[in-house]
Amino acid sequence: MAEVLLKGVTKKFGNFVAVDKLDLTINDGEFTVLVGPSGCGKTTTLRMIAGLEEITSGDIYIGDRLVNDIPPKDRDIAMVFQNYALYPHMDVYNNMAFGLKLRKTPKQEINRRVKEAAELLGITEKLKSKPRQLSGGQRQRVALGRAIVREPKVFLFDEPLSNLDAKLRVAMRAELQELHQKLKTTSIYVTHDQVEAMTLGQRVAVMNKAVLHQYDPPQQLYDYPIDQFVAGFIGSPAMNFFNARLTSESGILYVENRGFKLALPDRNQRIEYDSEDVVLGIRPEDLHGPVDSDDNDVIAVRVKVVEPLGDEIQIYADCSGQELVASLNPRQQIRVGDTIKLRVAMDYMHLFDPHSGRTIR
Amino acid sequence: MNRKTAATLLIHIIAWAIALIWIVPFLGVFMAAIRPMVEIIRGWWHVDPFTPTWRNFIGAWNHATAPLAEGMLNSFRVAIPATIVPILVAAIAAYGFSRFRFPLKNYLFITIVILMTIPQQMVVIPIFRIMKDIGLLDTHFGLILVHTAWGIPWILFFMRNFFTTLPIAVEEAARIDGASDFTIFFQIVLPMSIPALISAVVLQFMWVWNDFFLALILIFSPDKLLATQRIPLLRGLFHVDWGVLAGGTILVMLVPIIIFVLLQRYYIKGMIGWTSK
Repeated sequence: MAEVLLKGVTKKFGNFVAVDKLDLTINDGEFTVLVGPSGCGKTTTLRMIAGLEEITSGDIYIGDRLVNDIPPKDRDIAMVFQNYALYPHMDVYNNMAFGLKLRKTPKQEINRRVKEAAELLGITEKLKSKPRQLSGGQRQRVALGRAIVREPKVFLFDEPLSNLDAKLRVAMRAELQELHQKLKTTSIYVTHDQVEAMTLGQRVAVMNKAVLHQYDPPQQLYDYPIDQFVAGFIGSPAMNFFNARLTSESGILYVENRGFKLALPDRNQRIEYDSEDVVLGIRPEDLHGPVDSDDNDVIAVRVKVVEPLGDEIQIYADCSGQELVASLNPRQQIRVGDTIKLRVAMDYMHLFDPHSGRTIR
Repeated sequence: MNRKTAATLLIHIIAWAIALIWIVPFLGVFMAAIRPMVEIIRGWWHVDPFTPTWRNFIGAWNHATAPLAEGMLNSFRVAIPATIVPILVAAIAAYGFSRFRFPLKNYLFITIVILMTIPQQMVVIPIFRIMKDIGLLDTHFGLILVHTAWGIPWILFFMRNFFTTLPIAVEEAARIDGASDFTIFFQIVLPMSIPALISAVVLQFMWVWNDFFLALILIFSPDKLLATQRIPLLRGLFHVDWGVLAGGTILVMLVPIIIFVLLQRYYIKGMIGWTSK
């Protein structure tokens, strides 16, 4: 077990910057998720930690050891790949034992570890099978097993669940969590799926365009996004954004545009911000209603699409020319074309600087 | 009859016609090989009388001036190493070309591809002189060496293309598992490449086995002659014994045919090596 430390890590492919001065600390035993859209640099980061990709500049430490120039096999890590990357000509047992054999582990020890891992993952009956005879879920378990038997200091996961069907993915997600609770090995997990990131990560690093935006526990990311990108990326359906202005009237700050005029909550009444243009962010579940009121926390919208999901209904609506999604109580009638009023839970709204995207607090 | 059936019919007729044109000479050789001389002297297509016999095969096998038994043995002694060695060498080189970065890599590769286009007739005299100078003329080892050199460019091209289709993550997984470059190559990449290797074995073996030209130039002692060189000698001096000639031809042909039949399943799988990526 070990801490993983990245200091100013940069990776360039020619002129293209894939990862830009990344600082990241993964504590001993922590499960960290790197998340972001395609091409944000998360996989490159993982591959640099693994040693499969050279670092252009910066330092990577595993434990107390600088590993910049240490080959992957000597970094004491194990990696699980997106397409499993099993050895097709070896049976399950040998797939798991291969790394141990190369390390000249005694035969009995190999046998014990493989049996234990197979038991843990429920693939004991498959030890004699070849990878092509296994289902996707079983292959993924073998890939996990291959990592576990090595008893490495760090597990690296490169989108390990993205080739599985939706149902299996949810099941495997729970298994991974359980596994981490048992083994408590430092883990770094790359995904583009924010649900996976939120459910698995003790801390989640959100990356975009080679840059780390925020690195916090999931709830922190959700409640206190550092900027508009994180706010929009975390949460499904995504946060609604409105271009708006800050105005002051008889000592009270309002955020308003053509469609609404909402009073800022007390905590935001004394913000330090020297422009009047802002972006207002409201999560779909922070809209409630319909209500029959004209209070200063109510907006009027025209319903365009209604999607009943059973536990909630999602409505897609138009708010003075801007698109809006709201998750509402399903036990009510809302029809397409209706104009309804929704109450905004202003305590949970977010304000962003439209130029830098930073959150205004 | 609609247009689709007419088209299908036409395609079938053309395919059968081409197949027949191909098969007729083989049929002729076969018919001549399994019958006594008197029955085929007016043409193999006269089937009355028809007396099957092994005599021609035995005659070719134990021929007085050019026994095929010895020729086949010589051919195996040349073809087996001249298949295994270039495949091993070219596969290692091809892996280098497909996975590693080094200076002038692409120019080197293009040079190798261009080498594939040189006709043997153009270089045969220099080859003869080199072999003479290094004392390998009229030796099987010399011929193996030339076939190896001749086989390496195409096998390299073929294997390199195949390697680029293999998922690189498997090799990365092995690297993390602790494998060196050589371990990855011999324990991971080669076993995954068996279909392509078998394709290469089939083609290279057939090429070496069927070769007449290089053997003709480089081997001339009667006891060292290869099977293909002995076939014309089966003709006899004063009259042509068509039966023995045909029997010998079939015996020599049989080896590549058996190899192809045994390995064709893999052979077709491995054809991916001819794709370019």
